[in-house]
Amino acid sequence: MKLKLDFVSSTTLEDKPRDKRINFILSHVKDGTILVMDGVMHPEEEMELIKETMRRVDEGFPGIEVASLKKPSKGFGAIAEKLSDSKSGFIKSITGKMPKTTLKTGLTLIGPAKYIKKIKKNPESFSVLAGI
Amino acid sequence: MALNSFFNWFTGLFGKKKKIRLGIYGSPNVGKTTLANRISKDWTGEEMGKVSEIPHETRTVQKKEKIEISLSRKKIVLNLLDMPGISTKIDYRSFLKFGMSKREARQRAKEATEGVIEAIKWLNNVDTVLAVMDASEDPLTQVNITLLGNLEARNIPVILVANKIDKKNASPKSIKEAFPQYPFVEISALTGKNMKELYEAIASYSRKGK
Repeated sequence: MKLKLDFVSSTTLEDKPRDKRINFILSHVKDGTILVMDGVMHPEEEMELIKETMRRVDEGFPGIEVASLKKPSKGFGAIAEKLSDSKSGFIKSITGKMPKTTLKTGLTLIGPAKYIKKIKKNPESFSVLAGI
Repeated sequence: MALNSFFNWFTGLFGKKKKIRLGIYGSPNVGKTTLANRISKDWTGEEMGKVSEIPHETRTVQKKEKIEISLSRKKIVLNLLDMPGISTKIDYRSFLKFGMSKREARQRAKEATEGVIEAIKWLNNVDTVLAVMDASEDPLTQVNITLLGNLEARNIPVILVANKIDKKNASPKSIKEAFPQYPFVEISALTGKNMKELYEAIASYSRKGK
C-alpha cells in the first residue's frame, strides 16, 4: 500500500470559511491522505478541528495527528494578528457563522493517526514517522 | 500577571465573594483526576472521581462545587471541574490490551470522543484553567500547544501544572522551558508535594466568575 501526501496552498484554504476548511481537511485525511498546508490555523479553529475529528472517529478512522510550525509575530504583526482574531470573534458572535480567516504564516501537517506513528516536535522543527 | 494579581486583590477587598470555575485540562493520563481528588480531599475530605491507568477514565465533566480554600491571607471558593482528557485520536483497539472486550472497548472509545467534545465546549464556561502536563513526558505536543493557544485567545488565565514530579525521570524544567510565558507550579498530586504553592498560584492568578 502507498502513502499519499498532498501539499495545499494557503489560497486554496483561505477561500473557504472555517467550517468548510475543516471539512476539506478531514475528508482528505479520512481518505488516508497526509496534508501539508501552507499556513497555520488559529488555535480556536484547531480546537474545532479536534472537536469535528471526534465526531467522525470510527473503527477505520481513529483520528488525526497534527503538527504545526508558526512564524512568531512581533511588533506590528502581532498587533495585526490580535485585531484580526477580535474581528473574527465579533463576526461569529453576530452572524453565528465562522468567517473566512487568513491562516497565520507557517506550516501544518495533518494526517490520519493510523498511519502517523510518531511526531517529534521541537520549537523550530518537527519530524514525522509514518507507515502503513 | 502582577497587574492581574493586584486586580484580584483589589476586587477581593470590595467585591462580593464569587466562585472561580476552575477547569483542569490536559491530555489523557497526565493526572488530572488525581489532582482533582487531591484538591477536593484537602478541603472537603471527599474525593471526586475514579483514577485508572487506562486512558480516558474520565469521560464526562466531573464537578465539585463550593470548595473553600483558606490561605494565610485570603479565602477563595472554587467550583472545580475535572475535564476529560483532550486528544486528537481515540482508537478502541488501544483499550483491548487492558483486558476489555471488543464491545466494552468500542463503548469506551465512543464515550471518550464525546468527552473530548464536552471538554472543548466547556472552554467557554471556565474562569481559570490548570493546564496539567506529565513532567516525565515531552510537553511539546500539539494538544498542549492548541490548548494554551485557545486559552490565550479567550483571555482565560492559565497556570501550568507540571505533575508527577515524584517519578524518577520527571523533568518539570522542560515544561517551564517549553512554555516560559505562563505561571508555573511543579507538583505531585499523588504525594501532595507543593500543593500549597499551587493553591497560592490559584489565588493569585485566577479570574473571578461572573
